[in-house]
Amino acid sequence: MTPLQTQLPTWTAVAPTLLLGLTALVLLLVDSIDPDSTRPGALAGIATLGSLATLAVAGWFLLAGTGQTGSGGAIELYGGSLVVDGLSLFFTVVVASVVAMVSLASYDYLRDRTYQAEFYSLVLLAATGMSLMGSSGSLATVFISLELASLPSYALVAFLKDNRGSVEAGLKYFLVGAVSSAVLTFGISLVYAATGSLLLADVASAVGSAGDLVGIAGVGIVMIAGGFAFKTASVPFHFWAPEAYEGAPAPISAFLSSASKAAGFAVAFRVFAVGFPLDAVVPMGIDWSLLFAILAVVTMTLGNFAAATQENVKRMLAYSSVGHAGYALIGLAALSGGGPNGNVMGASMAHLLVYGFMNTGAFLFIAMVEHWEVGRTFEDYNGLATRAPAACLAMTVFMFSLAGLPPFGGFLSKYALFYEAIQGGFWWLAAVGAINSALSLFYYSRVVKAMWIEDPTGEFDLGATPVGLYAAVMVAAVGTLLLLPAFGPVVETAQSAATALFA
Amino acid sequence: MVPVQWYLLLATAVFCIGLFGILTRKNALLFLMSVELMLNAANINLVAFSAYWGNITGQTFSLFTMALAAAEVAVGIGIILVLYRNFDDVDVTLAKGMRW
Repeated sequence: MTPLQTQLPTWTAVAPTLLLGLTALVLLLVDSIDPDSTRPGALAGIATLGSLATLAVAGWFLLAGTGQTGSGGAIELYGGSLVVDGLSLFFTVVVASVVAMVSLASYDYLRDRTYQAEFYSLVLLAATGMSLMGSSGSLATVFISLELASLPSYALVAFLKDNRGSVEAGLKYFLVGAVSSAVLTFGISLVYAATGSLLLADVASAVGSAGDLVGIAGVGIVMIAGGFAFKTASVPFHFWAPEAYEGAPAPISAFLSSASKAAGFAVAFRVFAVGFPLDAVVPMGIDWSLLFAILAVVTMTLGNFAAATQENVKRMLAYSSVGHAGYALIGLAALSGGGPNGNVMGASMAHLLVYGFMNTGAFLFIAMVEHWEVGRTFEDYNGLATRAPAACLAMTVFMFSLAGLPPFGGFLSKYALFYEAIQGGFWWLAAVGAINSALSLFYYSRVVKAMWIEDPTGEFDLGATPVGLYAAVMVAAVGTLLLLPAFGPVVETAQSAATALFA
Repeated sequence: MVPVQWYLLLATAVFCIGLFGILTRKNALLFLMSVELMLNAANINLVAFSAYWGNITGQTFSLFTMALAAAEVAVGIGIILVLYRNFDDVDVTLAKGMRW
């Protein structure tokens, strides 16, 4: 096959990201022409179509081999500050699919609310930042894209201005986010101090010979890891997650816990694999994979144990999201100088894609329950399946898939992740992960039990069927199921993209 | 010329003052100021080591940091305003409706 970049100008490689940004601007334009729009469907439609177009272009590039090993390697723009390769396209696909489902679902969630156009354009601007995070080839781009993803997210979490929970969630998210971005910036400045460059490739070649400044480089690397821990909701910057996800509008919780987390991992994978190669930094005593191994164990254990004690379903999902960040961290932990590193990182990427579907679906189901005003605790869900069997069936798929039970997408992605960790010699990480998965089955099945087995405590008055929300939940359920047969090609694409990082 | 280590010490001191402010203050506006201190500590590093390494990458990046710090404060002030409207105060410890 002729490489795509010989037929198209080089800049078109960032077309998926540009499309997301353009959609956000179109939404603002529509809003300024028709500020009192009585057709909320138009706004939701533009946002959904824009993200579907992004998904199509990114998927096409990924299949056509743009920026991948088979067709000339990564495409570098602006002197290497932006890189388009398999990893960035893969995570653009994840982000775009989540945004498509979230904007579809927001059509019903936002009915009768003001500032709808701003809502959609903030979501798409944040998505632009998330997509850029995967393409960051320089620590400067890392910082700017991370802020572009964070700032709209703060506003979105606090979107329900008159709702105390939403405001409190936005405040906590903002406070932790501001501190962690300051920590990240200070870390970047220390790495620059030690290496004299911000480009990841130059940092990689200079960090091995930092000489007297090796300690500064080490502190800088740890602080950068802290900044990424915030974005991925991992220990030690995880405590905003339960508050923000519980208080935020449920579609935003879905968006943040799936797309934002995936983007955080995208940028962490690239920065640590390309910028601080283990071969160069381990001889100097900076073993960041050990740091991530400890963080992975603590994150998954803490997330799962805290989730098991919750009474509020949304908060349980928030802690389960912390737990899943722990599983995905295995992709950064089970690495060794010269080992088959691309395989375990690729498995982690594939897990994040599957997680994008099942977790978005679960939060959108919560959005639907909030729309029906059913209640928030496990008891409130009792007997819900008698009234909404299709939606509850979809929720059952999400729950069992999140727990990692066999006939669903989540089983294969977890299995691949643990298998590759064992292949890399990190059997104990896989063991901790497996024990945590077994524990997680307890609280996921509580939801299923409440919906299907328990008797209803009262009458449900569900009202009209929210079409957009229903459609989004079903798309997520079908995606979760389809990723079972399609998992082979997905994990192969992810692993070849990750292997290219270590080359 | 002042040795570059002194700049590093200054930046670390400013960063720690900011961190101390975040951990001890309850007022959301003082919190924002403390974050600014931490970001500006990074700027000191960037500019000092820009001169040390003889390239302008660090200085350019410090301009980006300032612009983004301003954007962050803009969003932060917005959130603090809705906090004031809902809780009649800018004390960050008042908002504790959700618990572990």
